[in-house]
Amino acid sequence: MTKNRTREKRFAFFLGCVTPFREVSYETASRRVCEELGIELVDMDGVNCCGLPIEAINRDMALSMAARNIVIAEEMGLDIVTICSGCAGALTKTNGIMKENSEVRNQINKYLKKIGREFKGTIEVKHFARVLLEDIGIEKLRKLIKHPLTALRIAGHYGCHVLKPAAHMKFENPEDPTFLHELIELTGATDARYEGEKDCCGGMVVGVDTDIPLSQVRKKMNHVKEAGAQALVTICPSCHLMLDSNQERAGKPFDETYNMPVLHYPQLLGLAMGIPPEELALDELKVKADEVLLAIKGLS
Amino acid sequence: MTKSWGTFTSFKGTTIEIAAPDFTEVVKKLTGGKDLTACFQCTKCTAGCPVTEKVSIQVHEIMRMLLLGMKEVLETDMIWRCTSCYTCQERCPQGIDVTDILIGLKNLAYEDGIGPDAYRENAKSVLESGFAYQTSGFRRKKRDAKGLPALPEANMAEVEKLAELTGLKALLEEDEAK
Repeated sequence: MTKNRTREKRFAFFLGCVTPFREVSYETASRRVCEELGIELVDMDGVNCCGLPIEAINRDMALSMAARNIVIAEEMGLDIVTICSGCAGALTKTNGIMKENSEVRNQINKYLKKIGREFKGTIEVKHFARVLLEDIGIEKLRKLIKHPLTALRIAGHYGCHVLKPAAHMKFENPEDPTFLHELIELTGATDARYEGEKDCCGGMVVGVDTDIPLSQVRKKMNHVKEAGAQALVTICPSCHLMLDSNQERAGKPFDETYNMPVLHYPQLLGLAMGIPPEELALDELKVKADEVLLAIKGLS
Repeated sequence: MTKSWGTFTSFKGTTIEIAAPDFTEVVKKLTGGKDLTACFQCTKCTAGCPVTEKVSIQVHEIMRMLLLGMKEVLETDMIWRCTSCYTCQERCPQGIDVTDILIGLKNLAYEDGIGPDAYRENAKSVLESGFAYQTSGFRRKKRDAKGLPALPEANMAEVEKLAELTGLKALLEEDEAK
């Protein structure tokens, strides 16, 4: 029997750690939207860290941990979907390296063999944004938009690891990506273009130097405000954590206030699909999205 | 703990022993390291780097230091303030995997006992729970109340074995002993 995974819309769901640690609203909204889209998320038993947070200290361990997660999905016979760009980056990159570089594959498989596992290279890893675009498709999604959010101007934050390193992510040109613009326009909202759309949130080094993410947040907030956006959307829990919860700290030394709601993209999509806001955990955002909700109230 | 990283901040007064072969050999074995000689100092990496204003030594200078075999590279702030955004790697006209090299340098620095605590903490957490960030019991209960599925439990025997095989466990033990 030939198995066409992409049409099954059934995925091994790799949750990662930042989402349950600080960004449960992202998981709630993503699961709810998947339910509406008929995407089945199968939780993965026995998985561990994606590897990214320890790449700086030991690359082999990072690769081994990522590969072990992939092997679990191989054993489930399912492609992996993840809502975290960091996890998507680590797992997609490792999957690519392991498939293409026999030297690395042999080395990591030597480790995996000692725990009774073997990387075979039979599955794909995708960020949720890619599943929306590549497995469901904009045309089909468009038919599911019940409440176009025409009253909104929304800015998009791409983040780094969903696109780069491009040689392994094999998604869009990281210098000129369009997918988030398409996803925003899909909801009926106006895509608010701004300076520095692709700029890094700085979250990776928050433990080393908080000044870096804070100055990145400040720059982003000023640009997004200049563009007249009512909210920013993200597709990564770490980017969201930096941009939603650090606004006050970033602006205070400069006497700046942003008060910019940062929505997880599935929250925006869910609203456009007619899912009630309370089912999308919008109340859990640090910067409240009340004005956004008010602007779209009664739209249909 | 005293800050062990970012202490090399200027080339002034530094004697550069051209081509210290031992260190260059080590670096060549890092992911991306074999392409070092392709760098012609165009500075596209530095031009796109989000932390240029925050570092004393720039990323293109790192690339040249490596070619000169300067082990001081492990003591620069650049390698730690790098956000791993991969812009330098994407833009390098010579196809050098600059970000991957920086990651390899971080690994070498930890082997020498240099580096911020943040990643050590991540690694310790992984050895405790399988994850870099641990969700508290309180939050787990909140998940249950919301009807979210229980979080996966990592297979700690397997994680520990991998940490032994890759040398992570020994590295952390050495740090503890210091």
